[in-house]
Amino acid sequence: MRILVAEDEPDLARTLGKALAEEGYAVDLARTGDEALAKATAVAYDTIVLDIMMPVQDGLSVLSGLRRSGGRTPVLILTARDTVEDKVQGLNVGADDYMTKPFALTELLARVRALIRRASPDPMTELAAGPFVVDTGARLVHRDGEVVDLTAREYAILELLARRKGSVVTRSAIYEHVYDEHEDTLSNVVDVFIAALRRKLGPDVIRTRRGHGYLIDD
Amino acid sequence: MTDSLRARLLGWYVGMVMLVIASVAIAVCWGTWRARLTAVDAELRSRAASVSTAVLPRDGGRFDVELTSDATAYFQASTSRPYYAVWAADGSLVDRSDPDLTGLVAPPEGARTLGNRREVITRAGPLTVLTGRDISDIWQELWSLALTMLVVALAGVALATAGAWFLAGRALAPVQRINETARRMIQGDLTARIAVDRTETELGQVALALNVAFDRLRESIERQRQFTADASHQLRTPVATMLAEIDWALKRDRTAADYRESLDTCHRAATRMQSLVNGLLTLARADSGDLPLTRQDVRIDRIVAEAIDGLRPLAVKQDVSVDATTEPAVGRGDRDRLHDLVSNLLFNAITYNKPGGSVSVGVRREGESIELRVRDSGIGISAADLPYVFDRLYRADAARARDTSGAGLGLALAQWIVAAHGGTIACSSDGGTFTEFVVHLPHADHAAADAGTGRLIARFATPLTMPSASTASVTGGVQMGASSSTASTE
Repeated sequence: MRILVAEDEPDLARTLGKALAEEGYAVDLARTGDEALAKATAVAYDTIVLDIMMPVQDGLSVLSGLRRSGGRTPVLILTARDTVEDKVQGLNVGADDYMTKPFALTELLARVRALIRRASPDPMTELAAGPFVVDTGARLVHRDGEVVDLTAREYAILELLARRKGSVVTRSAIYEHVYDEHEDTLSNVVDVFIAALRRKLGPDVIRTRRGHGYLIDD
Repeated sequence: MTDSLRARLLGWYVGMVMLVIASVAIAVCWGTWRARLTAVDAELRSRAASVSTAVLPRDGGRFDVELTSDATAYFQASTSRPYYAVWAADGSLVDRSDPDLTGLVAPPEGARTLGNRREVITRAGPLTVLTGRDISDIWQELWSLALTMLVVALAGVALATAGAWFLAGRALAPVQRINETARRMIQGDLTARIAVDRTETELGQVALALNVAFDRLRESIERQRQFTADASHQLRTPVATMLAEIDWALKRDRTAADYRESLDTCHRAATRMQSLVNGLLTLARADSGDLPLTRQDVRIDRIVAEAIDGLRPLAVKQDVSVDATTEPAVGRGDRDRLHDLVSNLLFNAITYNKPGGSVSVGVRREGESIELRVRDSGIGISAADLPYVFDRLYRADAARARDTSGAGLGLALAQWIVAAHGGTIACSSDGGTFTEFVVHLPHADHAAADAGTGRLIARFATPLTMPSASTASVTGGVQMGASSSTASTE
C-alpha cells in the first residue's frame, strides 16, 4: 500500500511519514501543491493525505485537479481549517475524509485504513487468502487462531494480493505499492518477498502467472 | 423612531394648517359681523332722522309726532321688530313706538348692542332719538356661516393630514431604509448596505456616508477575522506536529535516537509556538497602545553593528556574507525596539537568501532623516506578494516552501516599530535576485518634540508607502557616503 503525504510543514510531514511507514505503507512526501499534484497523477497511490494550506497551489486545487484528470484515489484532507464551510467545501471538491489539526495519530491511521478498505473491491476488514485470514484492522495474518509472523512488507504484499483476490497483480504494481520513491531496489525483490511468504504460508496460497504476476485464488 | 418622527412632523404640520384655517374663519366672521352692523346702523340712523323730523314742538313744551306713512310702515314691520324712542332736552320721554318700552331714560349718544338688539342713539336739536331693531337674523347668519366654515375646515384638515402623512412617509422612507440596514448589520449581516436612489438629497448624502462607514467597519472586521483565523491556523500546525510526534513516540518502545529525534521535533514546534505567541502579544499590546517606548538618543549605526554581530552565526550557517557601510547617525527612540527592527530585517535578509549570497546594510544621514537600507541577494519577493509583506502572518509561498521558521510577524512588527518612531519603511524586489528594505527614521535633532511623554502609539490603520519593484533601482551600500565602520562575515 502506497500513500502520498502532502504537507508543507517538514516536521509534521516527517512524523506522518514514519508513523505510516511503521504500519507497513510505502510513503511519499510532497512539500508543495504542484509536487503533490504531479505525484498524485503519476503514481497509483492507495490514499493521499492532503494539507490545504500549501505553497504554490493549495490542497483544494490539487484535489480538484486530480479529480478532473480522472484520479479516484481516496483523499483524506488534514488541515487546520475547521469551520463547517471548509469541511463542506473540501468534501464537495472530492475529498473522502476530512480531519482537522491537531489530531490523534491513531485516529488518522485508522481513517487511512478505512479509506483503503473502502476503496478495495472487497471492503472487509478480514480477507481470506487460502486457509489464512488477513486481519487488516490488526494488520496480521492468522490460520485457526495461529498468528503467522510476517514482516511489514510481507504483510503489505499479502494484503494487496488478498484484496485483489482472483485477479493477477503484476510485479511492478506490487513494487509500486510496497516501495516509496526513495527506495531504489531492483524489482526482483518482489520475487524474494513472495518466496518468503510462500515459506511461511505454504506453497499453494500465492500462485504465479508466468510473465504476468501473482494471484491468490478466489 | 421613524413613526414618532413622522407623527411629530405631522402634528406640527396639521397644527399649522388648523391655525391658518381658524384665523381665516375668525376674520371672515368678524368682517361679516362688522359689515352687517354697519348696514344696520346706517338703516337705524336714517330712520332716526325721519323720526326726528316727525317730531314737531308745540307750545307749552309739548310735541306732536306725525310719522310719515313710510316710517310708520317700517316700525310696524314684524321681521326685524324695529322700535324708537324720543326724549326732550330735559330728559322727558316725548314718544315711543311701543308702549312696552317703559322705564327708559335717554342714553348717551352712540351705538350699542344689547343681546339680540342693536340700538343707535342720535341727537337732533334738543331731541335725543333712539332707534333699534332685532338683529337675531344677523346672529343666525353668522352662526350658519361659522358652521359651514367649520365643516369645510374639518374636511380641509382631514385632507391635509392624510396628504402630510403620505408625504412625511415618503420623505422619511430613506430613514426607514437606513434603520432597516442598521438592524441587519446589528444582526450580523455585514454586507447590508442602504439602497440610495437620490444621492443629492440630504438623506441620500447621509446614506452614502453611512455606506462608506459600513464598508470601513466590514473591512476592519474582516481583517481582524482573517488575522484571528490565520493566527489560530499558525498555532494549530505546531500543536499538531507536537501531538503527532508524541503519539508516535509513545506508541511503543523506541530507541534513544528515536526519542532524541522526537524531542528535537517537539522543541522546534514549541519554539515556533513561542515566537508566534510573543509576536502576537507584542502586536496586541501595540494595537491597544499598551506598549510604551522609551525615548533616548540612539546611535543607529551601532545598533546595526550589534545586530550583525548577533546574527553572525546564522549567516555562517546559511553561507551568506554580510557587509555594512555606515556613518554615525543619531536617532531618537526605544533602543531595544530599534534593535528588534534591524535584527528582523537582517534575519530575513540572511534567511531568505541563497547559499553564497550576500547582505549589504547601509546607514547614512539624509537631510533631516536617517536612511537604513538592508539589501540581500536572495530569492526576492514576487510582485504579487509585495503589497502584503507587512501584513501579519503573511508569508510568501517562496518563503514557505523553504524550510524556515519565520512565523510571519517580523515585518508587521518592523512596520509598527518604524511607524511608532515617526518613520517610514518600504520594500522593493525584482522577484528573483534581490529584496531591499529602506527605512527612514527622523534624526535626533529633528525627532518629534513630544519626547516628554515617553510613550508612542502607532496603529496599522494607514498603509505605508510601498514602491513597486520597478521603482527600486538603488544599488547596495557601497555607494552610500563615507564608510566609518564595516562589519563583515563570511
